[in-house]
Amino acid sequence: MLSESECREVEAFLFKEARLADESDYDGWEALWADDALYWVPTRPDADPETEVSHIYDNRTRIATRIRQLKSGVRYSQTPASPMRRVLSNIEIEKMSDDEYEAAANFMLMELAVQSTRNMNLWGGRAIYRLRREGGKLRLCSKKILLVDADEPIANLSFLI
Amino acid sequence: MAAKVAYDALIHPDRVHGSLYIDPAIFEDEMENIFHKGWVFVGHTSEVPNIGDFARRQIGRQPVLILHTPRDGVKLFLNRCTHRGNLLCTRTRGNANSFTCPYHGWSFGIGGELRGMPMPGGMGDSFDREALSLAEVPRVGIHRGFIFASLAREGMSFEEYLGDAKILLDRAADLSPEGEVDLSAGWLKHRFKANWKMLPENNTDGYHVVTTHASLLRATGVADSLAFNDEKGDPSLIRDWGGGHTELDFAPRYKMMGMPFLWFGGTSPKKLPNYVAAMRETYGDEVANERMMDGPPHAIIFPNLFLAELNITYFYPVSTNEVVQYYTPMLLKGAPEINARAIRQTEGAMGPGSFLLPEDACMAERNQLGLAAQYPEWLDLRRGMGREQVDEASGLLSSVVSDETTNRAFWRHYLSVMSEAA
Repeated sequence: MLSESECREVEAFLFKEARLADESDYDGWEALWADDALYWVPTRPDADPETEVSHIYDNRTRIATRIRQLKSGVRYSQTPASPMRRVLSNIEIEKMSDDEYEAAANFMLMELAVQSTRNMNLWGGRAIYRLRREGGKLRLCSKKILLVDADEPIANLSFLI
Repeated sequence: MAAKVAYDALIHPDRVHGSLYIDPAIFEDEMENIFHKGWVFVGHTSEVPNIGDFARRQIGRQPVLILHTPRDGVKLFLNRCTHRGNLLCTRTRGNANSFTCPYHGWSFGIGGELRGMPMPGGMGDSFDREALSLAEVPRVGIHRGFIFASLAREGMSFEEYLGDAKILLDRAADLSPEGEVDLSAGWLKHRFKANWKMLPENNTDGYHVVTTHASLLRATGVADSLAFNDEKGDPSLIRDWGGGHTELDFAPRYKMMGMPFLWFGGTSPKKLPNYVAAMRETYGDEVANERMMDGPPHAIIFPNLFLAELNITYFYPVSTNEVVQYYTPMLLKGAPEINARAIRQTEGAMGPGSFLLPEDACMAERNQLGLAAQYPEWLDLRRGMGREQVDEASGLLSSVVSDETTNRAFWRHYLSVMSEAA
Protein backbone atom coordinates (compact mmCIF):
# COMPACT_ATOMS: atom_id res chain seq x y z
CA MET A 1 0.00 0.00 0.00
CA LEU A 2 1.32 3.38 -1.02
CA SER A 3 1.60 5.74 1.96
CA GLU A 4 0.93 9.48 1.75
CA SER A 5 4.60 10.23 2.37
CA GLU A 6 5.72 7.81 -0.34
CA CYS A 7 3.28 9.45 -2.73
CA ARG A 8 4.73 12.90 -1.96
CA GLU A 9 8.27 11.57 -2.32
CA VAL A 10 7.62 10.02 -5.74
CA GLU A 11 5.84 13.16 -6.97
CA ALA A 12 8.72 15.30 -5.77
CA PHE A 13 11.10 13.06 -7.70
CA LEU A 14 9.07 13.44 -10.90
CA PHE A 15 8.94 17.22 -10.52
CA LYS A 16 12.68 17.37 -9.91
CA GLU A 17 13.39 15.19 -12.96
CA ALA A 18 11.17 17.49 -15.03
CA ARG A 19 12.93 20.62 -13.79
CA LEU A 20 16.42 19.23 -14.43
CA ALA A 21 15.36 18.30 -17.96
CA ASP A 22 13.71 21.71 -18.53
CA GLU A 23 16.85 23.48 -17.43
CA SER A 24 19.18 21.18 -19.39
CA ASP A 25 21.00 20.41 -16.16
CA TYR A 26 22.75 17.47 -17.78
CA ASP A 27 24.81 16.29 -14.81
CA GLY A 28 21.92 16.61 -12.38
CA TRP A 29 19.61 14.71 -14.72
CA GLU A 30 22.11 11.95 -15.43
CA ALA A 31 22.69 11.47 -11.68
CA LEU A 32 19.04 10.42 -11.26
CA TRP A 33 19.52 7.25 -13.27
CA ALA A 34 20.08 3.73 -11.90
CA ASP A 35 22.55 1.40 -13.60
CA ASP A 36 19.84 -0.63 -15.36
CA ALA A 37 18.46 2.48 -17.03
CA LEU A 38 16.14 2.62 -20.01
CA TYR A 39 15.26 5.98 -21.60
CA TRP A 40 12.72 5.12 -24.29
CA VAL A 41 10.64 7.07 -26.80
CA PRO A 42 8.77 4.52 -28.96
CA THR A 43 6.81 5.37 -32.11
CA ARG A 44 3.66 3.80 -30.68
CA PRO A 45 2.54 2.74 -27.18
CA ASP A 46 2.69 -1.04 -27.62
CA ALA A 47 5.80 -1.15 -29.81
CA ASP A 48 8.16 -4.12 -29.46
CA PRO A 49 11.68 -2.66 -29.23
CA GLU A 50 13.23 -5.93 -30.39
CA THR A 51 11.56 -5.72 -33.79
CA GLU A 52 10.62 -2.05 -34.15
CA VAL A 53 12.72 1.08 -34.31
CA SER A 54 12.19 3.74 -31.61
CA HIS A 55 13.02 7.43 -31.59
CA ILE A 56 15.18 6.85 -28.53
CA TYR A 57 16.11 3.56 -26.84
CA ASP A 58 19.03 4.40 -24.54
CA ASN A 59 20.53 2.04 -21.99
CA ARG A 60 22.75 3.53 -19.27
CA THR A 61 25.82 3.57 -21.53
CA ARG A 62 23.97 5.37 -24.29
CA ILE A 63 22.49 7.87 -21.83
CA ALA A 64 26.07 8.68 -20.81
CA THR A 65 27.05 9.15 -24.47
CA ARG A 66 24.00 11.37 -25.00
CA ILE A 67 24.99 13.53 -22.04
CA ARG A 68 28.65 13.73 -23.17
CA GLN A 69 27.44 14.84 -26.60
CA LEU A 70 25.12 17.48 -25.11
CA LYS A 71 27.98 18.74 -22.96
CA SER A 72 30.49 18.84 -25.82
CA GLY A 73 29.53 22.43 -26.66
CA VAL A 74 29.10 21.47 -30.32
CA ARG A 75 25.84 19.50 -30.18
CA TYR A 76 24.54 22.19 -32.52
CA SER A 77 20.91 21.11 -32.38
CA GLN A 78 21.05 21.96 -28.65
CA THR A 79 23.61 24.78 -28.74
CA PRO A 80 22.38 26.82 -27.03
CA ALA A 81 20.00 24.54 -25.18
CA SER A 82 16.30 25.04 -25.91
CA PRO A 83 14.52 27.08 -23.25
CA MET A 84 11.85 24.70 -21.97
CA ARG A 85 9.12 24.36 -19.39
CA ARG A 86 6.86 21.37 -18.89
CA VAL A 87 3.83 20.71 -16.77
CA LEU A 88 3.13 17.31 -15.23
CA SER A 89 -0.39 16.29 -14.36
CA ASN A 90 -2.74 13.29 -13.98
CA ILE A 91 -0.10 11.55 -11.89
CA GLU A 92 -0.77 7.95 -10.91
CA ILE A 93 1.58 5.96 -8.70
CA GLU A 94 1.64 2.27 -7.97
CA LYS A 95 3.87 0.48 -5.49
CA MET A 96 5.36 -2.54 -7.22
CA SER A 97 7.39 -3.96 -4.29
CA ASP A 98 8.99 -2.74 -1.05
CA ASP A 99 11.46 -0.58 -2.95
CA GLU A 100 9.96 -0.10 -6.44
CA TYR A 101 7.30 2.23 -7.78
CA GLU A 102 5.71 2.74 -11.14
CA ALA A 103 4.47 6.23 -11.83
CA ALA A 104 2.83 7.83 -14.83
CA ALA A 105 2.08 11.43 -15.68
CA ASN A 106 0.71 13.42 -18.56
CA PHE A 107 3.00 16.21 -19.69
CA MET A 108 2.91 19.30 -21.84
CA LEU A 109 6.22 20.80 -22.82
CA MET A 110 6.92 24.13 -24.47
CA GLU A 111 10.27 24.05 -26.25
CA LEU A 112 11.77 27.01 -28.07
CA ALA A 113 14.07 25.96 -30.93
CA VAL A 114 16.54 28.81 -30.55
CA GLN A 115 19.23 26.91 -32.49
CA SER A 116 17.51 27.49 -35.83
CA THR A 117 13.86 28.33 -36.50
CA ARG A 118 12.98 29.87 -33.11
CA ASN A 119 9.73 27.92 -33.42
CA MET A 120 7.86 27.24 -30.19
CA ASN A 121 7.36 23.48 -30.30
CA LEU A 122 4.57 21.92 -28.28
CA TRP A 123 5.28 18.38 -27.10
CA GLY A 124 2.70 16.36 -25.22
CA GLY A 125 2.08 12.85 -24.06
CA ARG A 126 2.33 10.51 -21.12
CA ALA A 127 5.53 9.50 -19.36
CA ILE A 128 5.77 6.21 -17.53
CA TYR A 129 8.49 5.96 -14.89
CA ARG A 130 9.92 3.09 -12.91
CA LEU A 131 11.66 4.16 -9.71
CA ARG A 132 13.69 2.14 -7.22
CA ARG A 133 14.92 3.04 -3.77
CA GLU A 134 18.68 2.50 -3.57
CA GLY A 135 20.53 3.38 -0.36
CA GLY A 136 17.56 5.38 0.85
CA LYS A 137 17.28 7.49 -2.34
CA LEU A 138 14.95 7.09 -5.30
CA ARG A 139 16.58 6.35 -8.65
CA LEU A 140 15.12 6.36 -12.13
CA CYS A 141 15.24 2.87 -13.70
CA SER A 142 13.16 3.64 -16.75
CA LYS A 143 11.32 6.47 -18.39
CA LYS A 144 9.09 5.63 -21.35
CA ILE A 145 7.70 8.66 -23.13
CA LEU A 146 4.55 8.15 -25.21
CA LEU A 147 4.35 11.20 -27.45
CA VAL A 148 0.89 11.93 -28.81
CA ASP A 149 2.48 12.48 -32.22
CA ALA A 150 5.22 9.82 -31.96
CA ASP A 151 4.29 8.33 -35.35
CA GLU A 152 4.02 11.71 -37.10
CA PRO A 153 6.86 13.84 -38.48
CA ILE A 154 8.39 15.58 -35.46
CA ALA A 155 11.04 18.24 -34.98
CA ASN A 156 14.46 17.61 -33.42
CA LEU A 157 14.22 15.64 -30.18
CA SER A 158 17.80 16.15 -29.05
CA PHE A 159 16.87 17.90 -25.78
CA LEU A 160 15.91 15.87 -22.68
CA ILE A 161 12.27 14.89 -23.08
CA MET B 1 0.78 31.84 -65.41
CA ALA B 2 4.15 32.81 -64.03
CA ALA B 3 7.09 33.33 -66.37
CA LYS B 4 9.24 30.28 -66.96
CA VAL B 5 12.35 30.07 -64.84
CA ALA B 6 15.64 30.08 -66.78
CA TYR B 7 17.35 27.29 -64.89
CA ASP B 8 20.56 27.43 -66.89
CA ALA B 9 21.09 30.96 -65.60
CA LEU B 10 20.76 29.76 -61.99
CA ILE B 11 22.90 26.61 -62.14
CA HIS B 12 26.55 26.78 -63.14
CA PRO B 13 29.22 24.09 -62.84
CA ASP B 14 30.80 25.73 -59.80
CA ARG B 15 27.86 27.55 -58.17
CA VAL B 16 24.08 27.63 -57.80
CA HIS B 17 21.75 30.55 -57.17
CA GLY B 18 20.17 31.04 -53.75
CA SER B 19 16.69 31.48 -55.21
CA LEU B 20 16.63 27.75 -56.05
CA TYR B 21 15.90 27.05 -52.39
CA ILE B 22 13.31 29.72 -51.69
CA ASP B 23 11.35 30.55 -54.86
CA PRO B 24 7.80 29.10 -54.72
CA ALA B 25 7.59 29.01 -58.54
CA ILE B 26 10.66 26.78 -58.63
CA PHE B 27 9.13 24.51 -56.01
CA GLU B 28 6.00 24.14 -58.18
CA ASP B 29 8.20 23.20 -61.17
CA GLU B 30 10.03 20.64 -59.04
CA MET B 31 6.82 19.03 -57.83
CA GLU B 32 5.65 18.65 -61.40
CA ASN B 33 8.86 17.71 -63.18
CA ILE B 34 10.82 15.77 -60.56
CA PHE B 35 8.27 14.35 -58.11
CA HIS B 36 5.18 13.81 -60.25
CA LYS B 37 6.57 13.13 -63.74
CA GLY B 38 9.87 11.62 -62.70
CA TRP B 39 10.65 8.40 -60.86
CA VAL B 40 10.74 8.52 -57.07
CA PHE B 41 11.26 5.94 -54.33
CA VAL B 42 8.03 4.91 -52.62
CA GLY B 43 8.73 1.91 -50.39
CA HIS B 44 9.78 -1.72 -50.27
CA THR B 45 7.89 -4.93 -50.92
CA SER B 46 8.92 -6.26 -47.48
CA GLU B 47 6.62 -3.65 -45.94
CA VAL B 48 3.60 -5.44 -47.41
CA PRO B 49 4.51 -9.16 -47.32
CA ASN B 50 0.96 -10.58 -47.21
CA ILE B 51 -2.09 -10.20 -49.43
CA GLY B 52 -4.13 -7.26 -48.17
CA ASP B 53 -1.14 -5.56 -46.53
CA PHE B 54 -1.01 -1.86 -47.25
CA ALA B 55 1.19 1.14 -46.44
CA ARG B 56 0.32 4.79 -46.98
CA ARG B 57 2.85 6.94 -48.83
CA GLN B 58 3.13 10.16 -50.73
CA ILE B 59 4.46 10.80 -54.22
CA GLY B 60 5.26 14.49 -54.29
CA ARG B 61 2.09 15.94 -52.80
CA GLN B 62 -0.20 13.07 -53.81
CA PRO B 63 -1.35 10.41 -51.33
CA VAL B 64 -0.84 6.82 -52.50
CA LEU B 65 -1.30 3.32 -51.14
CA ILE B 66 1.16 0.49 -51.56
CA LEU B 67 -1.12 -2.55 -51.67
CA HIS B 68 -0.37 -6.25 -51.88
CA THR B 69 -3.15 -7.36 -54.22
CA PRO B 70 -4.53 -10.92 -54.41
CA ARG B 71 -3.58 -11.56 -58.04
CA ASP B 72 -1.06 -8.97 -59.23
CA GLY B 73 1.43 -8.71 -56.38
CA VAL B 74 2.36 -5.26 -55.10
CA LYS B 75 0.60 -2.37 -56.81
CA LEU B 76 0.30 1.36 -56.14
CA PHE B 77 -3.01 3.20 -56.09
CA LEU B 78 -3.92 6.82 -55.57
CA ASN B 79 -5.45 7.02 -52.09
CA ARG B 80 -8.70 8.64 -53.18
CA CYS B 81 -12.26 7.41 -53.42
CA THR B 82 -13.19 7.45 -57.10
CA HIS B 83 -16.65 8.82 -56.28
CA ARG B 84 -16.14 12.28 -54.80
CA GLY B 85 -12.47 12.36 -53.82
CA ASN B 86 -12.46 11.36 -50.14
CA LEU B 87 -9.13 10.16 -48.73
CA LEU B 88 -9.88 6.45 -48.78
CA CYS B 89 -7.40 4.99 -46.28
CA THR B 90 -6.36 6.99 -43.22
CA ARG B 91 -4.35 4.28 -41.43
CA THR B 92 -0.57 4.41 -41.88
CA ARG B 93 -0.18 0.70 -42.48
CA GLY B 94 -2.05 -2.53 -41.83
CA ASN B 95 -3.94 -5.36 -43.45
CA ALA B 96 -7.35 -4.98 -45.06
CA ASN B 97 -9.98 -7.13 -46.74
CA SER B 98 -11.48 -4.08 -48.41
CA PHE B 99 -11.54 -0.28 -48.22
CA THR B 100 -14.85 1.44 -47.65
CA CYS B 101 -15.21 5.17 -48.03
CA PRO B 102 -17.20 6.47 -45.04
CA TYR B 103 -18.70 9.38 -47.00
CA HIS B 104 -21.24 7.49 -49.20
CA GLY B 105 -20.18 3.92 -48.50
CA TRP B 106 -18.43 3.07 -51.77
CA SER B 107 -16.39 -0.06 -51.23
CA PHE B 108 -13.20 -1.22 -52.97
CA GLY B 109 -11.52 -4.62 -52.99
CA ILE B 110 -7.85 -5.13 -52.26
CA GLY B 111 -7.21 -5.50 -55.97
CA GLY B 112 -8.44 -1.91 -56.34
CA GLU B 113 -11.77 -2.90 -57.92
CA LEU B 114 -15.00 -1.10 -57.09
CA ARG B 115 -17.10 -3.65 -55.24
CA GLY B 116 -20.25 -1.74 -54.60
CA MET B 117 -22.11 1.18 -53.12
CA PRO B 118 -25.40 1.75 -51.31
CA MET B 119 -28.44 2.09 -53.60
CA PRO B 120 -26.63 1.24 -56.85
CA GLY B 121 -29.82 1.53 -58.91
CA GLY B 122 -29.50 5.30 -58.93
CA MET B 123 -26.23 5.11 -60.89
CA GLY B 124 -28.17 4.50 -64.12
CA ASP B 125 -28.00 1.74 -66.72
CA SER B 126 -24.85 2.90 -68.48
CA PHE B 127 -22.79 3.00 -65.29
CA ASP B 128 -19.35 1.42 -65.94
CA ARG B 129 -18.23 0.01 -62.61
CA GLU B 130 -14.76 -0.94 -63.88
CA ALA B 131 -13.96 2.62 -64.90
CA LEU B 132 -14.36 3.65 -61.27
CA SER B 133 -11.81 1.20 -59.86
CA LEU B 134 -9.11 2.88 -57.76
CA ALA B 135 -6.74 4.91 -59.92
CA GLU B 136 -3.46 3.12 -60.38
CA VAL B 137 -0.14 4.90 -60.28
CA PRO B 138 0.68 4.76 -64.00
CA ARG B 139 4.20 3.36 -63.78
CA VAL B 140 5.85 1.26 -61.10
CA GLY B 141 9.36 -0.21 -61.13
CA ILE B 142 10.70 -2.67 -58.57
CA HIS B 143 14.35 -3.66 -58.15
CA ARG B 144 15.38 -6.02 -55.32
CA GLY B 145 12.11 -5.14 -53.61
CA PHE B 146 12.73 -1.36 -53.75
CA ILE B 147 9.58 0.20 -55.21
CA PHE B 148 9.81 3.28 -57.41
CA ALA B 149 6.99 5.03 -59.21
CA SER B 150 6.16 7.73 -61.70
CA LEU B 151 2.81 9.48 -61.93
CA ALA B 152 3.40 10.14 -65.65
CA ARG B 153 2.10 7.62 -68.18
CA GLU B 154 5.05 8.23 -70.47
CA GLY B 155 8.65 9.21 -70.04
CA MET B 156 12.05 7.78 -69.26
CA SER B 157 11.88 4.04 -68.55
CA PHE B 158 12.56 2.69 -65.06
CA GLU B 159 15.72 0.96 -66.31
CA GLU B 160 17.02 4.17 -67.86
CA TYR B 161 16.20 6.15 -64.70
CA LEU B 162 18.03 3.77 -62.38
CA GLY B 163 20.92 3.19 -64.78
CA ASP B 164 24.08 1.78 -63.27
CA ALA B 165 22.90 2.87 -59.82
CA LYS B 166 20.97 -0.39 -59.62
CA ILE B 167 24.38 -1.79 -58.59
CA LEU B 168 24.00 0.23 -55.36
CA LEU B 169 20.66 -1.43 -54.60
CA ASP B 170 22.25 -4.79 -55.41
CA ARG B 171 25.09 -4.06 -53.01
CA ALA B 172 22.56 -3.42 -50.24
CA ALA B 173 20.52 -6.56 -50.90
CA ASP B 174 23.60 -8.73 -51.44
CA LEU B 175 24.65 -8.16 -47.82
CA SER B 176 21.83 -10.54 -46.95
CA PRO B 177 22.61 -14.24 -47.24
CA GLU B 178 19.14 -14.52 -48.77
CA GLY B 179 19.71 -11.59 -51.12
CA GLU B 180 16.89 -9.51 -49.66
CA VAL B 181 16.57 -6.59 -47.31
CA ASP B 182 13.67 -6.29 -44.90
CA LEU B 183 12.20 -2.86 -44.15
CA SER B 184 9.56 -3.98 -41.65
CA ALA B 185 10.88 -2.33 -38.46
CA GLY B 186 8.80 0.84 -38.90
CA TRP B 187 9.71 4.38 -39.90
CA LEU B 188 10.91 7.35 -37.86
CA LYS B 189 9.57 10.62 -39.28
CA HIS B 190 11.45 13.88 -39.01
CA ARG B 191 10.29 17.36 -39.98
CA PHE B 192 12.92 19.79 -41.29
CA LYS B 193 12.01 23.44 -41.83
CA ALA B 194 14.24 23.51 -44.89
CA ASN B 195 14.19 23.02 -48.63
CA TRP B 196 14.23 19.38 -49.73
CA LYS B 197 17.35 19.77 -51.89
CA MET B 198 19.46 20.22 -48.81
CA LEU B 199 18.85 16.56 -47.97
CA PRO B 200 20.28 14.89 -51.07
CA GLU B 201 23.01 17.53 -51.11
CA ASN B 202 23.96 16.77 -47.52
CA ASN B 203 23.55 13.02 -47.47
CA THR B 204 26.54 12.32 -49.68
CA ASP B 205 28.54 15.33 -48.50
CA GLY B 206 31.77 14.11 -46.92
CA TYR B 207 32.95 17.62 -46.07
CA HIS B 208 30.50 18.46 -43.26
CA VAL B 209 31.04 15.41 -41.08
CA VAL B 210 34.00 16.55 -39.03
CA THR B 211 32.38 19.89 -38.13
CA THR B 212 28.61 19.35 -38.14
CA HIS B 213 28.97 16.04 -36.30
CA ALA B 214 31.92 17.01 -34.08
CA SER B 215 29.83 16.45 -30.95
CA LEU B 216 29.26 12.78 -31.71
CA LEU B 217 32.87 12.24 -32.73
CA ARG B 218 33.94 13.75 -29.41
CA ALA B 219 31.33 11.96 -27.29
CA THR B 220 32.28 8.57 -28.71
CA GLY B 221 36.01 9.25 -28.75
CA VAL B 222 36.46 8.61 -32.47
CA ALA B 223 37.26 12.22 -33.32
CA ASP B 224 40.98 11.62 -33.57
CA SER B 225 40.87 8.28 -35.32
CA LEU B 226 38.41 9.32 -37.98
CA ALA B 227 40.14 9.81 -41.27
CA PHE B 228 37.75 12.62 -42.23
CA ASN B 229 40.08 14.92 -40.34
CA ASP B 230 42.75 14.48 -42.97
CA GLU B 231 41.50 14.15 -46.51
CA LYS B 232 44.94 13.01 -47.68
CA GLY B 233 44.88 10.04 -45.33
CA ASP B 234 41.46 8.77 -46.37
CA PRO B 235 41.19 6.75 -49.59
CA SER B 236 37.36 6.89 -49.45
CA LEU B 237 35.84 8.26 -52.62
CA ILE B 238 32.96 10.45 -53.58
CA ARG B 239 31.30 9.36 -56.80
CA ASP B 240 28.89 10.50 -59.52
CA TRP B 241 26.84 7.56 -60.81
CA GLY B 242 25.00 9.73 -63.35
CA GLY B 243 21.30 10.57 -63.33
CA GLY B 244 21.74 12.53 -60.10
CA HIS B 245 22.67 9.35 -58.21
CA THR B 246 25.73 9.90 -56.00
CA GLU B 247 27.83 7.94 -53.57
CA LEU B 248 30.24 8.31 -50.69
CA ASP B 249 32.23 5.08 -50.92
CA PHE B 250 33.93 4.03 -47.68
CA ALA B 251 35.08 0.63 -48.98
CA PRO B 252 38.59 1.87 -49.88
CA ARG B 253 39.10 3.00 -46.29
CA TYR B 254 37.82 -0.29 -44.91
CA LYS B 255 40.16 -2.16 -47.28
CA MET B 256 43.08 0.00 -46.20
CA MET B 257 42.34 -0.76 -42.55
CA GLY B 258 42.05 -4.41 -43.51
CA MET B 259 39.20 -5.43 -41.21
CA PRO B 260 35.71 -6.67 -42.02
CA PHE B 261 32.62 -5.13 -40.39
CA LEU B 262 34.07 -1.66 -39.91
CA TRP B 263 30.63 -0.64 -41.23
CA PHE B 264 29.14 -2.50 -38.26
CA GLY B 265 31.05 -0.94 -35.41
CA GLY B 266 34.15 -3.01 -36.15
CA THR B 267 32.46 -6.07 -34.67
CA SER B 268 34.64 -9.19 -34.63
CA PRO B 269 33.50 -11.84 -37.15
CA LYS B 270 33.60 -14.26 -34.19
CA LYS B 271 30.57 -12.48 -32.77
CA LEU B 272 28.64 -13.01 -36.01
CA PRO B 273 29.40 -16.69 -36.71
CA ASN B 274 26.06 -17.61 -38.24
CA TYR B 275 26.01 -14.56 -40.49
CA VAL B 276 29.55 -15.15 -41.73
CA ALA B 277 28.80 -18.82 -42.36
CA ALA B 278 25.54 -18.06 -44.18
CA MET B 279 27.20 -15.44 -46.40
CA ARG B 280 30.02 -17.84 -47.33
CA GLU B 281 27.55 -20.65 -47.92
CA THR B 282 25.47 -18.54 -50.30
CA TYR B 283 28.13 -16.56 -52.15
CA GLY B 284 31.37 -18.49 -51.67
CA ASP B 285 34.25 -17.39 -49.46
CA GLU B 286 35.83 -14.84 -51.78
CA VAL B 287 32.68 -12.89 -52.69
CA ALA B 288 31.29 -13.12 -49.16
CA ASN B 289 34.53 -11.86 -47.62
CA GLU B 290 34.64 -8.92 -49.99
CA ARG B 291 31.04 -7.96 -49.19
CA MET B 292 31.67 -8.18 -45.45
CA MET B 293 34.71 -5.95 -45.95
CA ASP B 294 33.07 -3.36 -48.24
CA GLY B 295 29.77 -3.10 -46.38
CA PRO B 296 26.54 -1.44 -47.48
CA PRO B 297 26.33 1.56 -49.81
CA HIS B 298 26.17 5.17 -48.66
CA ALA B 299 24.41 6.62 -51.67
CA ILE B 300 21.60 8.75 -53.03
CA ILE B 301 19.20 7.46 -55.64
CA PHE B 302 17.80 10.65 -57.17
CA PRO B 303 15.78 12.35 -55.96
CA ASN B 304 14.55 10.99 -52.63
CA LEU B 305 16.13 7.67 -51.62
CA PHE B 306 19.18 7.57 -49.35
CA LEU B 307 20.86 4.20 -48.91
CA ALA B 308 22.41 5.15 -45.57
CA GLU B 309 24.55 2.09 -44.89
CA LEU B 310 22.37 -0.07 -42.58
CA ASN B 311 19.52 2.44 -42.79
CA ILE B 312 17.08 3.34 -45.51
CA THR B 313 15.96 6.93 -45.68
CA TYR B 314 13.63 8.82 -47.98
CA PHE B 315 11.79 12.11 -47.94
CA TYR B 316 8.94 14.03 -49.45
CA PRO B 317 8.94 17.80 -49.89
CA VAL B 318 6.15 19.83 -48.27
CA SER B 319 6.94 23.38 -49.40
CA THR B 320 9.94 25.56 -50.29
CA ASN B 321 10.97 25.52 -46.64
CA GLU B 322 9.69 22.21 -45.31
CA VAL B 323 10.50 18.56 -45.91
CA VAL B 324 9.74 15.33 -44.06
CA GLN B 325 12.41 12.65 -43.89
CA TYR B 326 11.74 8.97 -43.00
CA TYR B 327 14.24 6.44 -41.59
CA THR B 328 14.15 2.69 -41.03
CA PRO B 329 16.80 0.07 -40.26
CA MET B 330 17.88 -1.92 -43.30
CA LEU B 331 17.41 -5.39 -41.87
CA LEU B 332 18.99 -8.28 -43.77
CA LYS B 333 16.95 -11.42 -44.35
CA GLY B 334 18.65 -14.45 -42.85
CA ALA B 335 20.90 -12.33 -40.59
CA PRO B 336 19.37 -12.14 -37.08
CA GLU B 337 22.80 -11.43 -35.55
CA ILE B 338 23.04 -8.24 -37.61
CA ASN B 339 19.41 -7.24 -37.29
CA ALA B 340 19.15 -7.18 -33.50
CA ARG B 341 21.88 -4.55 -33.37
CA ALA B 342 20.90 -2.78 -36.58
CA ILE B 343 17.75 -1.42 -34.91
CA ARG B 344 19.83 0.04 -32.07
CA GLN B 345 22.30 1.47 -34.61
CA THR B 346 19.49 3.23 -36.45
CA GLU B 347 18.27 4.78 -33.21
CA GLY B 348 21.81 6.01 -32.55
CA ALA B 349 22.35 7.52 -35.96
CA MET B 350 19.04 8.41 -37.57
CA GLY B 351 15.89 10.22 -36.61
CA PRO B 352 14.96 13.28 -34.57
CA GLY B 353 16.20 11.80 -31.28
CA SER B 354 19.45 10.34 -32.60
CA PHE B 355 23.08 11.41 -32.32
CA LEU B 356 23.55 12.46 -35.96
CA LEU B 357 20.44 13.68 -37.77
CA PRO B 358 19.42 16.48 -35.39
CA GLU B 359 22.62 18.26 -36.43
CA ASP B 360 21.85 17.77 -40.14
CA ALA B 361 18.33 19.09 -39.58
CA CYS B 362 19.67 22.04 -37.63
CA MET B 363 22.19 22.88 -40.39
CA ALA B 364 19.51 22.56 -43.10
CA GLU B 365 17.23 24.90 -41.15
CA ARG B 366 20.03 27.38 -40.60
CA ASN B 367 20.84 27.24 -44.32
CA GLN B 368 17.23 28.04 -45.09
CA LEU B 369 17.26 30.99 -42.70
CA GLY B 370 20.58 32.25 -44.06
CA LEU B 371 19.35 32.07 -47.64
CA ALA B 372 16.75 34.72 -46.84
CA ALA B 373 19.76 37.02 -47.27
CA GLN B 374 20.02 37.57 -51.01
CA TYR B 375 23.72 38.40 -51.08
CA PRO B 376 26.03 36.85 -52.01
CA GLU B 377 23.64 35.55 -54.65
CA TRP B 378 25.45 32.25 -55.16
CA LEU B 379 26.28 29.12 -53.17
CA ASP B 380 29.83 28.04 -53.91
CA LEU B 381 30.29 24.43 -55.04
CA ARG B 382 33.76 24.48 -56.57
CA ARG B 383 35.51 22.32 -53.98
CA GLY B 384 37.59 19.64 -55.69
CA MET B 385 36.82 20.71 -59.27
CA GLY B 386 40.50 20.68 -60.08
CA ARG B 387 41.17 17.18 -58.85
CA GLU B 388 38.17 15.02 -59.66
CA GLN B 389 38.78 12.31 -62.23
CA VAL B 390 37.27 9.27 -63.85
CA ASP B 391 37.97 6.35 -61.56
CA GLU B 392 39.53 3.50 -63.54
CA ALA B 393 37.75 0.70 -61.73
CA SER B 394 34.23 2.09 -61.97
CA GLY B 395 34.48 4.41 -64.97
CA LEU B 396 32.68 7.02 -62.87
CA LEU B 397 33.66 10.57 -62.00
CA SER B 398 35.22 10.34 -58.54
CA SER B 399 37.12 12.50 -56.12
CA VAL B 400 38.43 12.96 -52.62
CA VAL B 401 35.80 12.22 -49.97
CA SER B 402 35.52 15.86 -48.88
CA ASP B 403 34.92 17.21 -52.39
CA GLU B 404 31.67 18.64 -53.73
CA THR B 405 31.63 16.32 -56.73
CA THR B 406 28.34 14.83 -55.53
CA ASN B 407 26.70 18.25 -55.15
CA ARG B 408 27.73 19.14 -58.69
CA ALA B 409 26.41 15.78 -59.90
CA PHE B 410 23.07 16.46 -58.23
CA TRP B 411 22.76 19.90 -59.80
CA ARG B 412 23.89 18.74 -63.25
CA HIS B 413 21.06 16.25 -63.30
CA TYR B 414 18.58 18.66 -61.73
CA LEU B 415 19.35 21.17 -64.48
CA SER B 416 18.79 18.60 -67.20
CA VAL B 417 15.44 17.51 -65.75
CA MET B 418 14.19 21.04 -65.12
CA SER B 419 15.38 22.35 -68.51
CA GLU B 420 13.86 19.48 -70.51
CA ALA B 421 10.54 20.15 -68.92
CA ALA B 422 10.64 23.91 -69.44
